[in-house]
Amino acid sequence: MAFYRYSLPLLPLPALFLALLTEPGWTLQLPWLLLGGLWGMDELRQTFLLLTALLWTVAGVFATGYLKDRHLGRFWVFWVLTLAGNLGLTVAFDVASFYSFFALMTFAGYGLVVHEGTNEANRAGRVYLAMAVVGEMAILAGLLMAFSAAGSLLLAELPAAVASSDRRWLIMLLLLTGFGVKAGLPLLHFWLPLAHPVAPTPASAVLSGAMIKAGLLGWLVTLPIGQVSLPVWANLLVVLGAVGSLGGAVLGVRQMRPKAVLAYSSISQMGLMTLMVAGALASQAHSGAILAVLGLYVLHHGLAKGSLFLSTAMSLPSGRWQRMLMWLLIAMPGLALAGLPFTSGAMAKLAMKDVLAPSGLDFALAEYLPVLMTAGAIATMLLVWRFLWAFGARAHTGGNARGLWLGWSLATASSLLVFWWLPLPSGLPAKAWVSAMLDQAWALVWPVIVATILAGLVWRINRRGK
Amino acid sequence: MTSGALLPFFALMSSLLASVVIFALPERMHRLRVLINLGAAGVKVLLVGVMIWGISEGQQYELAFDMVPGVQFVLRADALSMLFAGLSAVLWLLTTIYAVGYLEHSPNRSRFFGFFSLCVASTTGVALSGNLFTFFLFYEMLTLSTYPLVVHRGTEKALKAGRNYIIYTLTGGAVLLLAIAWLHGLVGDLSFREGGHFADVDAALHGPLTIIFILLIAGLGVKAALFPLHGWLPQAMVAPAPVSALLHAVAVVKAGAFGIVRVVFEVYGLEAANAMGLLFGLALVAAFTIIYGSVRALYQVDLKKRLAFSTISQVSYIVLGLCLLGPVGAAGGLVHLVHQGIMKITLFFCAGNYAETLGVHRIDELDGAGQRMPGTSLAFTLGAFGMIGAPPLAGFITKWTMGTGALAAGMDWVLLVLVTSSMLNAAYFLPILHRLWFAGQHEPWPHERRWGRLETSGWLLWPPVVTAVLMVVAGLFAAMPFSPLAWVQLIVAREVAL
Repeated sequence: MAFYRYSLPLLPLPALFLALLTEPGWTLQLPWLLLGGLWGMDELRQTFLLLTALLWTVAGVFATGYLKDRHLGRFWVFWVLTLAGNLGLTVAFDVASFYSFFALMTFAGYGLVVHEGTNEANRAGRVYLAMAVVGEMAILAGLLMAFSAAGSLLLAELPAAVASSDRRWLIMLLLLTGFGVKAGLPLLHFWLPLAHPVAPTPASAVLSGAMIKAGLLGWLVTLPIGQVSLPVWANLLVVLGAVGSLGGAVLGVRQMRPKAVLAYSSISQMGLMTLMVAGALASQAHSGAILAVLGLYVLHHGLAKGSLFLSTAMSLPSGRWQRMLMWLLIAMPGLALAGLPFTSGAMAKLAMKDVLAPSGLDFALAEYLPVLMTAGAIATMLLVWRFLWAFGARAHTGGNARGLWLGWSLATASSLLVFWWLPLPSGLPAKAWVSAMLDQAWALVWPVIVATILAGLVWRINRRGK
Repeated sequence: MTSGALLPFFALMSSLLASVVIFALPERMHRLRVLINLGAAGVKVLLVGVMIWGISEGQQYELAFDMVPGVQFVLRADALSMLFAGLSAVLWLLTTIYAVGYLEHSPNRSRFFGFFSLCVASTTGVALSGNLFTFFLFYEMLTLSTYPLVVHRGTEKALKAGRNYIIYTLTGGAVLLLAIAWLHGLVGDLSFREGGHFADVDAALHGPLTIIFILLIAGLGVKAALFPLHGWLPQAMVAPAPVSALLHAVAVVKAGAFGIVRVVFEVYGLEAANAMGLLFGLALVAAFTIIYGSVRALYQVDLKKRLAFSTISQVSYIVLGLCLLGPVGAAGGLVHLVHQGIMKITLFFCAGNYAETLGVHRIDELDGAGQRMPGTSLAFTLGAFGMIGAPPLAGFITKWTMGTGALAAGMDWVLLVLVTSSMLNAAYFLPILHRLWFAGQHEPWPHERRWGRLETSGWLLWPPVVTAVLMVVAGLFAAMPFSPLAWVQLIVAREVAL
């Protein structure tokens, strides 16, 4: 039992070292694997690998304190398989390996979702699995068509082939849908608010922080980004992104349980990232810069969301000052999501605003992007308030196991501090840096203030109602 | 006659002789019988292995003589026959091990193993036949030698299933004989030849050849369980598990499918069959059978019945692959001959293990079986995921290759069939997996037996574990030489010069 428990945080370490210590550009030839394998790491994948490995590590630390002995072995097996899938798909350069790891992550993830064995977990598991299978099949069909167009199993060759294929719209539809299930795209998201909250908390953290990003990575490596300008698809994705970011918030503030609020917040955040995918599809010239910012956003959101999920299982200390400090540390990653200055979120939001400026993009809905981003920031802050309220309503006072303390502190520290020393994608717009945060402090802060006032009003009205 | 010509003969004889000797052995000589069984199976694997090596080096093995003037008996080992012979040799060995454990202490073992070996001899004959006439001989011998196995238990239900089986297959055989005789009258003795015989056939013959093709497929389609000729198969599941495993997942249904491969590739020729417009109809029948079998499987509550309908669905993949008019699609279909065999035999072994160890036959009795029988359940899980086509298992290689072939042939609709079938497979396999691993056992096993340290008898446990490993290897290392995929690509390079 001790082996199962204490090996959890060690397993992702090799991948973490790979992401931190190696320069992007290495590849590994595995000609005997499947239909011919090639693994490697480029800049985009380095960011994803970094997030994935880091989050799985801290969630693993947390899990050592969180898990009970019952079914520990089973949990370990599914944790390891899901982890292998999530890390593997990040470094896969060939279609067969990528799809294999993706499927491994999806199917093994079921074991994490239904682990608790409650009726609710089983129901969530059924929905998860049904939608995942549909997603896998859409991905399979899309990859098959893209592969047939490219005549090559290398992912890198797919976007150009898709761009010039006469089945382009069908391939794009299949891939957007298939990976969209994982990424929580509106109408494909139903499983997400069911499955993310019912899983054991460390699993929720990696589901919502890291695995959700696998869908996004799937889009980025297969869609014809940077090949042609596709304004129609960009418009469609802007609509979906807007529905996701605002609709996720509308549904999220109605949730009673903190983890459910966070799950909807993930849908909302993925909506904002979908806006960037829209921009990248629309503009050949800016796609490189947008991808860099997207990487930054992925890293920021994954770490913040991981920390928030882990905090849902923490009990509050009884001393007044310790209690306030703890509240602050729980709230900070949330405030980072909302873009408070000097947080990772402020950097991500400023960079995003910069690359999604309408002047650089040429499609019908581009002019609405700034409004959407601001609305998204307000929506995010509202969700954070809701989360804190829901958390406070259920919080216990008492001690926490050592593993919980360590895992949660590491996650929070990663989000708030370590983030600044991580290797960030190169090619970020200069505006993103600290001095810009001072200049733009007001632009960053006022949505937070508006949301806070709104939340306060709603709270008062609710209290009167009682 | 050189030693090369004798190899196919010896491969056939290894199981035929074993059969004769076993029939002669008294019932109580258990050890000797096991020894002969395993020895013969081992020798056969060896012989087939030697031939596979030789063929990859460009050797030919052929044995032919005139039965009556104008009708030849031909045994020939080519790349295609080795695909089937290799599969059945390896799986025979494993099934023999399994059957020894399964039938321990049950009556009439001498009879069982005698007919069992005779079946394998017939299957080898089917694989090695060099012309339609020889093929027919072994094809019928297979029918007759499987009947006693289906009715082995002698119950009312078994006898009824056996009657049904023999009516279906003998009728199919008669139709096949009619077609072969007609073809013989029309164009003479036809040996199997790469590329077929009808590439530039007189257009006046197109009419009769079309009818003959339909008759041939109908005759072969009974064993291959093509809709609407599949009715015997789910009923035949009353047979003991090793019979279901080898004969109904591999030997019998594959003999039908293999016959269709021979007819399409080596009698008519892919191009000629397509030019006569024969393949599209066959593709539709196969596609319908794939969906039909999966939908029916969804409604079965008996584990073996569900697997049987799944077999009906999966065997048609092979037929559908042939109809994809190109080397890639054909490779996808052919490789499934091996992949489906390994995966389905794994699942049947596991179903047998649940029945023998726990007394479980129904799917809703499987709750919590994963904890009680982890090895069996792991093998079952891999088999199920293979069937769904999840990578990196063997079934994925099939689906990927067939999908690529369909797109290359411009038959995009096939992709829809593959995807729908995969989803249905997921729908009827994944709930079983949930029961195995995540549901708690809520009532005692219907009829539990204990075997010391292992979850079940070692004879029963290791065969499915080995086939599950083979299935992973066939998928994970598909790009390696001598993988099923690589071997099939060798065949296709010779067969389909499109």
